[in-house]
Amino acid sequence: MNIHRHPELLDRLAAAWALGTLRGGARRRFEALAREQAPVRAAALLWESRVAGMTELQRETSPPPAVWTRIDNLVRAERERNATQQARLTVPKQQGGWFRSLLLWRGAAGAGALATVLAIVTAGQIREDLGAQVQDLQARLQTAPQVEYVAVLNDDQAGPAMLVTFDPNNQRLTLQRVGGYQEASDKSLQLWALPPGSAPRSLGVLTRERLLQLAAGEGDVQNVPALAVSLEPQGGVPSERGPTGPVLFKGALIQKML
Amino acid sequence: MKTPSASVLDLRHNGPMLDDRNAELMTLIDRVAQQDQAALRSLYDLTSSKLYGLALKVLGKPEWAEDALQDTFLQVWRSAADYRATLSPPMAWLGLMVRSRSLDLLRRRKAEREHLTEEIDEHLADTLEGDAPDPMNTSLASQQAWALHQCLDRLEHRQRQAVSLAYLRDLSHSELAEQLRLPLGTVKTWIRRGLDHLRQCMARYA
Repeated sequence: MNIHRHPELLDRLAAAWALGTLRGGARRRFEALAREQAPVRAAALLWESRVAGMTELQRETSPPPAVWTRIDNLVRAERERNATQQARLTVPKQQGGWFRSLLLWRGAAGAGALATVLAIVTAGQIREDLGAQVQDLQARLQTAPQVEYVAVLNDDQAGPAMLVTFDPNNQRLTLQRVGGYQEASDKSLQLWALPPGSAPRSLGVLTRERLLQLAAGEGDVQNVPALAVSLEPQGGVPSERGPTGPVLFKGALIQKML
Repeated sequence: MKTPSASVLDLRHNGPMLDDRNAELMTLIDRVAQQDQAALRSLYDLTSSKLYGLALKVLGKPEWAEDALQDTFLQVWRSAADYRATLSPPMAWLGLMVRSRSLDLLRRRKAEREHLTEEIDEHLADTLEGDAPDPMNTSLASQQAWALHQCLDRLEHRQRQAVSLAYLRDLSHSELAEQLRLPLGTVKTWIRRGLDHLRQCMARYA
């Protein structure tokens, strides 16, 4: 049947197809027709986009803040994974060297004496390549982030609010907000080291991102048993003055043994 | 919100404002395609309530809706570069993604726990209770969705719900009858009349 000669029937089928209530054999037959006849396909696509509007008409509800944290963590993890893969793909260029020697070695296998000589050369080449790769790995390990100190800062309800890690290779503190706390726009959070027997020392003022980094030397965190975050006027206060606002989060700073 | 009078169809939906909004969303999607995480955050801030509301409607259960929202934004992160080729208004693209992620999730959950299917159905079977009209929300809605809203608005509340649920949850007549606890014949009639009405009404918006 030339269904597109029956515009009303076509429209009805296309609408039911798009809504999803056209099922079973009827649905399969309609889809077969749509693949063959452009006007049928056009009607189906038109109705598909019409009913899709239903996704836009639902009542709004705010998702809990933890959903964004999860998305953010997964996206970060994915970026890091991709970056690592990229690095792995670009590093071992030298491989061609010994692989070529191997082919050469195979070709010469018939000539015993020559093969022996080549085998020695090849072994040397492999050793050289390995040496280069080990050096490269060592260089990369030097710059790869290492976590030497860790602190989980809790709020006054003993709920975790912030994760702080110190990486000595790159000389920086990484802060991840884990609770839903967000300071007012005219306030800033400030991170403090609490050394025993002396005044708190500012480690920096936090930006509003969930994940941020502050430059810090090993000396800033060595022998510091605890960290705290206070609520300060926007931009923070000078270190000498010490915290002026309430301490919101606090926690022990622990040096990792491994 | 505007309520259309019986005789006059409101054919326009705050046009220039909508264009600005769409342009903003499209710019953000383009930036996400360049792996800009700040843009993903802004896009989330602008759209997550809308999309979470949709996921809740499809899945009925907050934990699952959260998972569907999370899956959707991961997919946006990975496939934002494909957006332009779809020719869709940005909210329609995002909405379709939420619906299909939600339906995937529902299928997975049902497969994982075959014996709990009944419990899941139980969970979804509450939607028509209460006769308070479900206010449809047209903020951010595309022109197409606005037209649909105008047309759906003229259906009796329960018919409108049945048509919406059939689509959002991808239900057959009998599944719908089960979830709405209504006789199959009633559901079939509602859907048929609802679609006939939509066909006549939507034709005016062409």
